[in-house]
Amino acid sequence: MAQGKIVAGFIAPHPPHLVYAENPPQNEPRSEGGWEQLRWAYERARKSLDELKPDVLLVHSPHWQTLVGHHFLGVEKLSGKSVDPIFPNLFRYKFDMTVDVELAEACCAEARAAGLEARMMRNPGFRVDYGTITTLHMIRPQWDIPVVGISANNSPYFLTLDEGVDEMVTLGEATRRGIEASGKRAVLLCSNTFSHWHFHEEPTLPEDMTKEHPQSYVGYKWDMRIIELLRRGEVDEVMRLFPHWVEEAFAEVKSGAFPWMLSAMGFPKSPAELHGYGTVIGTGNAVMEWNLEKAGA
Amino acid sequence: MAVVSAFLVSGSPLPMLKPENPAWAGLAAGYAKAQAALVASRPDVLLVYSTQWIAVLDELWQVRAHSVGVHVDENWYEFGDLPFDIRADVKLAEACVAGCASVGVSAKPVDYEDFPIDTGTIVADTLLNPGRVPLVIAANNVYHDFAITERLAGMAVSTSAAQGKRVAVVAVGGLSGAYFDHSIDVAEDHVRHAADDAANRAFLETLTKGADAARAAVGDYAKATKADFGMKHLAWVLGATGGFSGAEVHAYGATYGAGAAVVEFRL
Repeated sequence: MAQGKIVAGFIAPHPPHLVYAENPPQNEPRSEGGWEQLRWAYERARKSLDELKPDVLLVHSPHWQTLVGHHFLGVEKLSGKSVDPIFPNLFRYKFDMTVDVELAEACCAEARAAGLEARMMRNPGFRVDYGTITTLHMIRPQWDIPVVGISANNSPYFLTLDEGVDEMVTLGEATRRGIEASGKRAVLLCSNTFSHWHFHEEPTLPEDMTKEHPQSYVGYKWDMRIIELLRRGEVDEVMRLFPHWVEEAFAEVKSGAFPWMLSAMGFPKSPAELHGYGTVIGTGNAVMEWNLEKAGA
Repeated sequence: MAVVSAFLVSGSPLPMLKPENPAWAGLAAGYAKAQAALVASRPDVLLVYSTQWIAVLDELWQVRAHSVGVHVDENWYEFGDLPFDIRADVKLAEACVAGCASVGVSAKPVDYEDFPIDTGTIVADTLLNPGRVPLVIAANNVYHDFAITERLAGMAVSTSAAQGKRVAVVAVGGLSGAYFDHSIDVAEDHVRHAADDAANRAFLETLTKGADAARAAVGDYAKATKADFGMKHLAWVLGATGGFSGAEVHAYGATYGAGAAVVEFRL
């Protein structure tokens, strides 16, 4: 068996507004559109993903927050209706996903071997979180590639940020070892918004784009600074700035997906490609890609 | 007086799913005492605030007449499922949505099939409410502070009084917030940090002395113990009751390291 590898990683944020705006058949509410720049960004990301022909997608979501360790979806078929508890008016989505349980178990075992608390979620009635579903829908609406879903352990919030990041770095390394042993071509998905300052009231028509803009200029400036650094391949500088970015932009990357993904990819120095940027209820969202095959990594 | 009883209870599903576990049996027994007190108070409605129903835009109120299903907790799924069958007092909940403007809060009703009712609300309804008395459930908007939460609760009680209803106030949330970050023998569960344990016990003792003492102590206590959402669920009790003269602690214990209690307030 050939050695498995991570062929790409995407920053793939999960505002449910993007699914709502697209009007897919799985989602009950209907919209007039909206957030086009971000949806076009995902169109480009979808095309790139299609060309990569991965065997599996791995997603780390901040909306499956776990208290005791890092959890992996461990049921082969998960389906149901996911109603977003925060935006139920926008996201009531019938999902039906296939989980690569074998790879999830391998990554979980590697995480344990690395000293992390990690466990498999085996309850077939489990309701998959909307962050996982939104990211997966936006990157691959066909739902024809098996997935590995990983929770966001709350260590960055209950420990120091440095300790939490260390956990995610270790989890990323464990994930990479699991993938390499699997022989599969894997794509990683970091389901995170950047600046997370947002409005506290929703417009009457949620997709009224005259109401959409960055909520915080400080947050916006951080978004641009980070994007520019990533486009230049200066990932070490981004990680040096990470605590300031999290603090000043209230960045959702604190939840761990970002260091997890970068660590799994070996903190690549190749430039990331920006597929697009846009705000959702004032938060900053970038769709970005590291194509490790193109980069020759 | 619209408020006929008031409680602060843990929203952890662990004592409900495994009441036979020695470490959680005390909390389960405490819930049974609170249930008896709530039933004896003959409420027309339970006014529920759970720290686990998170909102970030507006204040959300559950107005779906009948919510039924099986919930699986995102953390404690291995211990079992949580069936629920919850009826809402729609007329009162809609009046609360309208009433939020009077306290300067933007609000929205929630009426969606398969809406994920939070674990804390399900646990409280299951363990406190055998008669299936209707609920009014308010979300925990993370940007609402202690004072706003008090005002919301006060508004909800005033609105209930205007409808001539007897209200049981149910605040659902935990105490100290530090969970164990590794697997434990659940039979040996205890509050993770000795300092948190001492602070929890002292704070519960403070509650027995009445609302003024509780109000004076809650800020420092919440900060020191990283208490569940800054004890905003206590704000719900304070705002709804307008103050309480004391409290009886029916149970105190741990839920995987975090502090938990079942408290009945004297009105």
